[in-house]
Order: sequence, then C-alpha cells, then structure tokens
Amino acid sequence: MPLTSSQMKTLYANMVRARRFDEKIVQGIADGKTVSFFHSGLGEEAVGVGGCAFLRPDDYVWFHHRGHGIAHILSKGGSPQGFVAEHFGKATGACNGMAGFHYVDPEHGLLGFSGTIGSAFPVSLGWGVAAKMGNRGQVVVCFFGDGASNRGTLHEAMNMASVMKLPIVWVCENNLYAQFMPLKDAFASEDIASLAIPYGMPSKIVDGQDVVAVHEAVQWAVERARAGEGPSLVECKTYRFRAHSEGAPDVSHFELRPPDEVEAWKKRDPLLLFRERLLQEEIATVGELDRIDADAAEEADAAERFAIESPQPDPSVLQEMLYAR
Amino acid sequence: MREIPYRIAMQEALIEEMSRDEKVFVVGEDVQAGTFGVTSTLVQRFGPGRVIDTPLSETAVAGTALGAAMTGYRPVADFMFADFIFIAGNEVLVNAAKWRFAHGGKVNLPLVYMAAMGGGARNGPEHSMSPESLIMHTPGLKLAVPSTPYDAKGLLKTAIRDNNPVVFFYHKRLLGLRGPVPDEEYTVPFGVADVKREGTDVTVVATALQVQHALRVAEEVKERVSVEVIDPRTLEPLDIDAIVRSVEKTGRLVVADEDTERCGVAAEIITQVMERAFDALDAPPKRVCAANLPIPGGFIEASVLPQPAGILAAIEAVTGRALKV
Ligand SMILES: Cc1ncc(C[n+]2csc(CCOP(=O)(O)OP(=O)(O)O)c2C)c(N)n1
Ligand SMILES: [Mg+2]
Repeated sequence: MPLTSSQMKTLYANMVRARRFDEKIVQGIADGKTVSFFHSGLGEEAVGVGGCAFLRPDDYVWFHHRGHGIAHILSKGGSPQGFVAEHFGKATGACNGMAGFHYVDPEHGLLGFSGTIGSAFPVSLGWGVAAKMGNRGQVVVCFFGDGASNRGTLHEAMNMASVMKLPIVWVCENNLYAQFMPLKDAFASEDIASLAIPYGMPSKIVDGQDVVAVHEAVQWAVERARAGEGPSLVECKTYRFRAHSEGAPDVSHFELRPPDEVEAWKKRDPLLLFRERLLQEEIATVGELDRIDADAAEEADAAERFAIESPQPDPSVLQEMLYAR
Repeated sequence: MREIPYRIAMQEALIEEMSRDEKVFVVGEDVQAGTFGVTSTLVQRFGPGRVIDTPLSETAVAGTALGAAMTGYRPVADFMFADFIFIAGNEVLVNAAKWRFAHGGKVNLPLVYMAAMGGGARNGPEHSMSPESLIMHTPGLKLAVPSTPYDAKGLLKTAIRDNNPVVFFYHKRLLGLRGPVPDEEYTVPFGVADVKREGTDVTVVATALQVQHALRVAEEVKERVSVEVIDPRTLEPLDIDAIVRSVEKTGRLVVADEDTERCGVAAEIITQVMERAFDALDAPPKRVCAANLPIPGGFIEASVLPQPAGILAAIEAVTGRALKV
C-alpha cells in the first residue's frame, strides 16, 4: 500500500527530529555535557526512520549504534528526553544514567542494546523465538552495520532463524566502512545482501538515502515475517557524514575516506532529498515543512534543558540495579 | 524416603517447572535426546516447541535465552559442557550479566544457563572444566553448584523461578549419584549453605563433587578428627555468614573446589573469611583445587584434579595431626 501524505510527513518529521537530536549530542561533546563518546548518524537517518516507521508498538527493534539509535528510537515511539538525559549522564536517562549511551523502552519494543558489535544477532534471534512462540504476529527488526556482518554471531543467528522460520527482518546499514576498515578489505563479496543466499532467505538492496525505498523494502519483509514466511534481509547503501566516533576514546582524528567521496555523498543528504520530493510532488508546502523543522528544533532544545536540569544518579542505587528481586 | 539419581532429580525439576509455568522452555544442542540424560523425555511431554533442539551454535543458544527472557519467557538453555560457555562469552558474561544493570533495572532476565562441569571422565582439556570462578567473578550472574540429588532438584527449581540470569553447573561425576528426594514439592533457597556433616575440629567448605569427596574423607578420619563439611550450594549469592560461624567454632579452614586454584573460588572464600574472622583462625587455611594447569585427558588427569587424598592432606596440615591410615 502506498504511503499516505500524512505518513510521508511523519517520515520527514522523524528524520528532522533524528538529525536535531544527533546534533545535540555532538554539540554536547564540545560543550562538555555529553559524558560519553558518540557515533553520529548524520546522513543515515533514512534507514532507521524508514525501517521503523509504522511498525507495531509490540514489534521488537534492535537499533543500530549510528546516532546511538535515535532515528530508530524516535520512529518506534521512544522518548527523546530519556535519550538526551542518558547521554548527559543523568538519573532521568532512559537507563537511569547507568549506561551513558544505551536506550531502553520496553513499552515500545525497545528492550535494550549492547556495545559489543555483533550482539545484535543472538539477542534478536531470542526475540524472534519469543515472537514466534507468542504467536501474536509480532516481528523483530534487527539493524546492523557492514562491520557487524563480519562477526560469527551473524552466521549462527541467521542460520538458526531461517531454519526455524522466525519472524525477523535483518536490515544492514551498509555505510562502506567499519571504523577505519573499508568494506572491500573486510568482506569477501560486494553486497552484504549476498548472505541471504546461503541462509535461504530473500533479500533486497535499496538506496539507503531514500526513506521511502527503505520503508517499502522493510515493509515487504515485515509482511513476510508476520505471515509466517520467515526472515528476510534488506541491505541499505548509505554513508555517514561525520567521523566514526567523537569524544573519548578515539583521539586519533583519523579519516581515511577520500574528501571527494564524502562530498559526493553529502549531496545525497536523505533529508534534503526527501524535502525536495515532498515539495515537488506537492505532498507538503514549504510552510508545513518549515513548521516541522521549527517544532523539531524546539523539541530538541526542551529535551536538552530537561537533561541539563536533571540530577546525576545517586550511587546508592547501584546495588539495586544489579539483581531483580 | 525414595532415592533417585541426581540427573533424574534435575529432570523432575524441569518437568515440574514446565508444567507449573508455560513460559518455561528448554533450548540447546541435542536437548531432546539429552546428552547427559537430564533433559531427556521432556520432548515427549512438552513437544518440540518447548524443548528446542538448535544447530551447533552456542551464541545462538545463549542468545535465544537472553532475548526470550527479556520478553517474559523463562528459558533454560543447556550448553552441554561448561567449557562451551566461553564460546558464548559475550552473551553470558557481558550481555546477560550486565543487561539489567546497564538498562537501569528496567529489563529482567529470568533465565538459566545450565552446563555439565567437572573432570573425572578423562574427557580432556576442553570437556573437563569447572569454570565456577569465572561466573562468580562476574557481577550480575548467580551461580548454583549442587552436590546431591536433593539440592540439584531444589536449586534448579529456584533457578528457574529466579528473575535473574542463573548459571547452573551440574557435575558430570554426580549424574548417577542416588540420594533421598521427597515426593512432595520443595525448593532450595539460594544463598543458604548446608552443613552436610557437623564437626568441631576443622571446617571443610566444598562444592559439587568435592562435597562427596570431603564427606568420604570425614568419615574415614572420624576417630581422629571431627570434620565439619559445609556446602555453600550457591556461590553467588554466597552464604559467607554460615562459613564464618563454622570457622569460629573449629578455628581451621580447608576449601575444596574443582576449579583452577589461581584466583579461584577457594581463594575468594578464604579471603572473605580472613577479612571477617582472622582472629578465629588457629592455622593458615588451605586450598584443595585443580592445579594451575589445563586439565589433561587420560590417566594423567588425576594428577591435576583435586582428589580425596588432597583433602586429607589439607586437614592434616591445618590440624597438625597425622591421619594417614
Ligand atoms: C565486538 C566489538 N568489536 C569492535 C568494536 C569497536 N567498534 C565499534 S563500532 C565499530 C565499527 C562497526 O562498523 P559497522 O558495523 O559497519 O557500523 P558503522 O559504525 O559503520 O555504522 C567498531 C570496530 C566493538 N564495539 N565491539
Ligand atoms: Mg559501517
């Protein structure tokens, strides 16, 4: 089913919001407010937004670490206040300030995150087993990078998910690099999507800068999964506009990507491309889009104020965080 | 009271808990057949949907439990051999252990990771480990190490009902050990040590197979020295109070444990006793552990693993009495 104009505007709004919040965390590093490191997702917003828009609240999402998942989180209904406050180390953070950069919101199918790359696969597998057992049509959407695809956990989880026909959508955010490792030196085939063949599932490769294309491909896979047809793989070709990470611990400031490559991709900014399209197809007016932009900026400022005003966690809570009663 | 083998006591615990709570399921390699006769027969009762055989994929086994537990299931994942936990180290030691803590206490992981520990079967270096200290060292995990059929059943039931990740090591050389197990339902609480034999001259703290060794030695030397045998039953939580009470009575301490001596369980227990009750000790405590070597296969295995003779020698050393018959 084609997207309605109101759905198209939601996609735009979520991309703008993701960008404003990402910029807040980047700025927070310069200002000394962001207490941990950050892996900016600027330039890759279309993947998380297109892939998570219009999922059910009870669908499970493993978000990608680009933007620390902000595009996915916002699209899945998560609170941006908890996101910013967590990055500022505050007790009101999504994880009560215990992780610094994780996010959790069980009500919206966001059950958490792990910073060890490749954790995505076994955990998503477990969500898939649970979704299948629960038999309520829930699906799992697991986002991962091209670098993560080098982990052996991918093999174990993709293989078992296919054997068990689990309702999982594997979405690769292929931005051509894993930190300082180019994909061509780390992966023996051209496309991550080629992995679909050995694991016996269908796949699609899409332009990751086109939010509608991402949405349609993921939606196709989601429908297959809901219908009990098993997992699929969607590869989104995308690019990050900023460095691999900023803030401690990477102080090398190394950049191996050729400047003209970076510039060429920046011309394919998913936000600008989509804005142009909405205007060209007369889905929205300049006034409407400017309003969305202004709202997003205001929302980000409010979340930042909330985070700044929030208290730090009290060490007295540490013990009770560890074990449940 | 009827007497049943340790492995059947565990099987009864699984049957009772799976009948009591439909959220409980078993997952692992060959759990339907049951490599050690623990999970055997369950599939006939509960079907392959709740007794899930997986491909040979330890991170997938661990991840299935991890992910499903977050969604409210109570999985029991079996790794076959305790040594294989290392393969899923990221899932068990990093993700399962830290998840609740890192997410501000908002997600519980009610899961059990079971595995067979211990040597004595001459299975060589990758099938003989007792990596208790590794688990005990890792905040966020609980650890049960039963030494009798009664404890095996009662502790496993408690493990399944616990809202945290519990590692449950059953000892290969105890699987066929018969012992009294009541017909009526019962559970064994975590963090409550059991005095397996009362005595007045020396405290022997032992886990798993070493409890049986200690009891045999205590019986042999009972005319010359009165040995108290204490089984902590769970190492996290650890009932250090019970151990300290016993040492305050006997003034002498031996700790027998099958894990490698260096940085091991015995080292931890002795340190805690020294910190709490140094003045109660009449002699330096002694450790009886596996030597600081890999566990070899074949006949030479016995030279590395702790033996009853080692417990006897340690009792002689701390009491200053010659006991050899
Ligand atoms: C197991 C593990 N290995 C290495 C790292 C360090 N690291 C974090 S992100 C990253 C690159 C990941 O690349 P990719 O999956 O392509 O995602 P991208 O950062 O490009 O979005 C690396 C090497 C890690 N966090 N965990
Ligand atoms: Mg990458």
